[in-house]
Amino acid sequence: MSSFLKHRPSLPLWLGLLSIGVLIGVAGALNVLINGHAQVYNVTREVPWGILIATYVFLVVSSTGLCLLSSLGHVFGIEKFEFIGKRAIILAIITLLCGFGAIGMEINHPIRLAIYAIISPNFTSAIWWMGTLYGLYLVLLSGELYFLMKGMHKGAFTMGMLGFIAAVSAHSNLGAVFGLLEARPFWHGSFLPIYFILSALVSGGAIVSLIVYFNYKQSGTPIPQKYEAFFDTLGRLQTLFLMVLVFFVIWKIIPGIYGHPPEKYEATMAMLTGPLAFNFWFFEVLLGLLIPITLLINPRTRTPMGVMWAGISATVGIFFMRYDLVIGGQLVSMRAGTADLRDGLLHYVPSITEFAIVIGAISTCLLLYTLAEKFLPLDADEH
Amino acid sequence: MKNKRFAIVLDTKRCIDCKACTVACKTENHVPLGTDNYRNWVGPEPLRGTYPNLGQTFTPSQCQHCSNPPCEHVCPTGATTVTPDGIVHVIEHKCIGCKYCMTACPYDARYYNEEIEAVDKCTFCSQRIYGENGQLPACVETCPTKVRVFGDLNDPNSDVSKLLAKHPSRVLKPAQGTKPNLYYLI
Amino acid sequence: MSRLIDKKLSRRRFIGLSSCTLATAVVGSQVKVLRALATSGDISAPVAGKDDSIFTTCGMCVNKCGVIARVRDGVIRKLDPNPHFIKSRAMLCARGNAGVKVVYDPDRLKYPLIRTGARGEGKFRKATWAEALDLVAKNLNTIADKYTRAGVMFASTEGTYQDHFFNQLAECFGSPNTVRHPTLCLSSNIQGFSATFGTNPTPDVLNADYIIMSGANRSEALITPDSIDMLKGDGGRRKVIYLDPRFTKTAAKADKWFPIKAGTDMAFILAMINVIVSEGLYDKTYLQNNTVGFDKLLPHVASYTPEWAQDECEIAADDIRKVAREFAEAAPKAVYYQGRRSSFASNDTQMRRAMAILNAIVGNWDVKGGMLPNAGIKLTPHDYLAPWYDDVPERIDAGSVAFLSEKDGSWPVVQERVLAADPYPVKGMMIYKQNVLSSVPDRAKTLKMMDQMDFICCIDITMSDAAWYSDVVLPEATYLERQDPIESLGGPVPVAVFRQPAIEAQFESKPCLWIMQELATRLGEEIAETFDFTMDEYIHHQVKNNPQILTDLKEKGVYFERTEPNYGSTLGKRLKTVSGKIEIYSQRYADKGLDPLPVYISPTKIPAGKYRLIVGRHAFFTHGTTANNAYLHEIMPENTLWLHSAAAAQAGLTHGQTVKVRSSVGEETLNLEVTDKIRPDCVYMAHGFGVLSKGLSNIYGKGGCDAALIETKYCPISGNAAMHETLVEVVPA
Repeated sequence: MSSFLKHRPSLPLWLGLLSIGVLIGVAGALNVLINGHAQVYNVTREVPWGILIATYVFLVVSSTGLCLLSSLGHVFGIEKFEFIGKRAIILAIITLLCGFGAIGMEINHPIRLAIYAIISPNFTSAIWWMGTLYGLYLVLLSGELYFLMKGMHKGAFTMGMLGFIAAVSAHSNLGAVFGLLEARPFWHGSFLPIYFILSALVSGGAIVSLIVYFNYKQSGTPIPQKYEAFFDTLGRLQTLFLMVLVFFVIWKIIPGIYGHPPEKYEATMAMLTGPLAFNFWFFEVLLGLLIPITLLINPRTRTPMGVMWAGISATVGIFFMRYDLVIGGQLVSMRAGTADLRDGLLHYVPSITEFAIVIGAISTCLLLYTLAEKFLPLDADEH
Repeated sequence: MKNKRFAIVLDTKRCIDCKACTVACKTENHVPLGTDNYRNWVGPEPLRGTYPNLGQTFTPSQCQHCSNPPCEHVCPTGATTVTPDGIVHVIEHKCIGCKYCMTACPYDARYYNEEIEAVDKCTFCSQRIYGENGQLPACVETCPTKVRVFGDLNDPNSDVSKLLAKHPSRVLKPAQGTKPNLYYLI
Repeated sequence: MSRLIDKKLSRRRFIGLSSCTLATAVVGSQVKVLRALATSGDISAPVAGKDDSIFTTCGMCVNKCGVIARVRDGVIRKLDPNPHFIKSRAMLCARGNAGVKVVYDPDRLKYPLIRTGARGEGKFRKATWAEALDLVAKNLNTIADKYTRAGVMFASTEGTYQDHFFNQLAECFGSPNTVRHPTLCLSSNIQGFSATFGTNPTPDVLNADYIIMSGANRSEALITPDSIDMLKGDGGRRKVIYLDPRFTKTAAKADKWFPIKAGTDMAFILAMINVIVSEGLYDKTYLQNNTVGFDKLLPHVASYTPEWAQDECEIAADDIRKVAREFAEAAPKAVYYQGRRSSFASNDTQMRRAMAILNAIVGNWDVKGGMLPNAGIKLTPHDYLAPWYDDVPERIDAGSVAFLSEKDGSWPVVQERVLAADPYPVKGMMIYKQNVLSSVPDRAKTLKMMDQMDFICCIDITMSDAAWYSDVVLPEATYLERQDPIESLGGPVPVAVFRQPAIEAQFESKPCLWIMQELATRLGEEIAETFDFTMDEYIHHQVKNNPQILTDLKEKGVYFERTEPNYGSTLGKRLKTVSGKIEIYSQRYADKGLDPLPVYISPTKIPAGKYRLIVGRHAFFTHGTTANNAYLHEIMPENTLWLHSAAAAQAGLTHGQTVKVRSSVGEETLNLEVTDKIRPDCVYMAHGFGVLSKGLSNIYGKGGCDAALIETKYCPISGNAAMHETLVEVVPA
């Protein structure tokens, strides 16, 4: 495995692959523009939100996580984390923009959103708040990046502080987009806003480990002692986040099955034993939780490479956590007689176009970050 | 003048699941063809009992025109709104197609209409009830057995008010707190 | 609206020109009378209410409900029920509403077509009307010369109101071989009840307190107003007992459903009669005064005990007793509903006789809540002198069954005899909207019958299977694009209706009358002469003794003289039977060597591994004609084979699996629907699928065709096809 990493793809190959990914996304987007959503997406009137919403949530959870982790350094003054600032913030901006891209492809009229969110706002709508808070968050992140690039620490601190607040507000509000829906017992309640913040920390921790690891890997030099220590701290911190997440997952499931609460039970069982079971047990539990925890809890595997692998595993797992959450909440029919007779559930499998756009969004993220890494001075100015 | 509070009272015992209401609705409201596209429906409820002792009920439904409509609360641009007479409807040009209202509706009463490029739903056939001939909603008028009765709950002498006074009734998913205005006679 | 008038005028002018050439030949014909009566030509102009709302009649099924077509910018936007139309209680069903898509259907026939490929290959070329009509006339004349005029058979639909013109052409052309729907439908019913009451009465469903329905699936096979009236209203104390091997939507609405063994209804009825007569639950004086042969009934039903019937129909003897007693108790407001449905067994006429006798002995004739005689609205008929041809033999099916309808014949017999050229060859076929390949049992045989034809012409609005196998296909204007004559819909409360065009006929489609007139012109002066009238003239002639009819039709789309049945109008008067009384014992049948009292025949035993194939309807389809309609297609995109869950388990078949259904005459492939809504010894599939025509794009390749499986069996008394006598096996595909 390590030998594979030593012979990691050269930059042109990497950029080539990402460009293909972006082109696949562009093809998907063109297909939507030409043929219309209904023809090319597999979302239905009963499962109106598909993998693009899940991808959006995944990307903005990554953005939020990166912001939260970077604020450990330049907002909360934990010195070990300060050097990740610029990279974390620039990736936070990129993931946020790509997230907007994904949701922009899911909703039918993003331009109407831009107009009517301003001239006809509905303050009781969590989506309105989501758009507004994430817009604000984007402005603050951009400001923070500006000050960081200019080396203006005071400004960066202020922006970072405000960005932190915006990130927490926006992301917990994203949880509320789901949590405020009384019609969907699987989502409804205060659980999701809180859970979203926690999972953002896990996401952030995982992605930061990847940024740092590949940055130094690419430079070709052995990782300095200082960063060994950083990885050790990050690994311990990530273990804590993951264990809390396990606790959250368990307490999401138990009320979902105890006493068979209507609709919540069916959705939970869809995840445990139904159509989402493979996603849940393999991706969410094994890749998302057990493998990272195993790697991180053991001091012998809590090496930079171990932390990196834990990060990759957790990131993949988290994508499926978002997918299962978004889809699982919709699989229980709102009325009798419309569900599949075999398992009593509705069904959704993403279409090729939906997959293409997901590939495009993630490829764009990675491509933009690779280019930023190449062309922008991102190394922290030591002070 | 006092506002109206439009409502429909349904007697499912009369429903024979002939689908007249669903086709009438599709033609009246230019609902595009397609199995996902409809404003109203007849839900055949599961077969009861075991052969040869069987029973089945058919439950027509549509937007409940809730007095406390979750779709209205969640719409980011106020595209979903309620008329003074209690008709929950979508202002097409404001709809951004986020489909939040579709996930928020506990009755699955909405669909995305590709032709009008907005989420679409039952409007109690407002074009008919406010039209110069004052027609009934298409589903109400066309029904062979007259399952649905349409009228104004604020008028104590309307057929709907009288029916609800005389008979016990239920609404769908009362625990959602949506305060529906479709009443099913028991 | 003025635009429509202009259009109409130009159409009139066209017809006027075509008949001009013949005017000199018209001597002493009825047409002169017709012409004299036509005054203003105002009929053809659509009578529009507000917002271009046009009164007309639905053409989607047999019920012909009142419709208001809402037209805007020359486009039919919506079809609304006509609130004045009392017969349907001011409703319009799914099909009625879907009528919009009959007009705006990409699959509809747009131009005359002439076949270029092999029959059934579906290769046609567009032709002009003149070319197509010339070809039809040429072929009809050629066949007439070679095989006599009986060598062309005419198969017609019903209910377009212009079918009269088609049948007029058949008669004037000189063919005795006309076939219509009754022997695929209800002729045994009409025969059995008429033999008893002198007419086929209508049950007063609205006022009956106790209704027994045998297989008449009124919640799905909609008949107005019965389908509506059978449901209890406020304070109703009506009880509906329903017998059907399937748990239909009528079963769901009934107070009691008995999954009767298919083909044993008569056993149930005879046992009911047994209970009523043995327990004396009848009015002796009434029977003595109003019926003949009751004394013969007593010994006849003595052996038909409920215990005997229990073994036949698999309904508990106690249940039969209970139903019989309740029925007699509720009488005379009790009806054993014969309804309108196709006939299931070859002893169907005698079964209908038993039904009629049961009704008769509880004294429900012509009383409120009982069996009512029908009335009609008097219209002046269009008389014409059909030319006489010396060499034409009698009907090909003559002498085949005891009571053969002179006009309608017996479809199953015609099918067999034409195929066998027995006693003479029939080599030409004119079809008017009857989808014979979907409606006549044994499709393979019907195809062979068509194969041996020298020429087939089909008039339709879509490429039906029959049209697909024709040589010339002529596009008719749909019911929303035509002026149709006035039609009286008979019943206890008769109404008169007509059709007005809501829009111009689309593409090159033409009304049947125009097509018939054009053909008549080409077939010779004598025939053409009988058609020398315009629709205006025809309609004015129909109402010459009662102009109010036309006024009402224009103002409210329907004409009626009373809103309640005229109860008791026949009491104390002679009925149209031989004895003038209700004939429990039929001397007429005895004279023909038929059983004068209904004798039960047990249906064939179903061997293990086989099932009885039963047919049935859905409220959103009319026979084999509407499954392709885009709106209706959405409701049921394809048919499935119903099989009871226990039978499926036994056969190792699972829900959703594709299966082959095999009878002695055909094999069809469709998906299995495992359900408890059917007897374990029966299978069922909806009618109208498994089509051959690729011109029906929504349903081509979907589901299976029941007509391809049903064997040719028929009632020897009425000639009615028996739909439930085919046994099939079901195997995985």
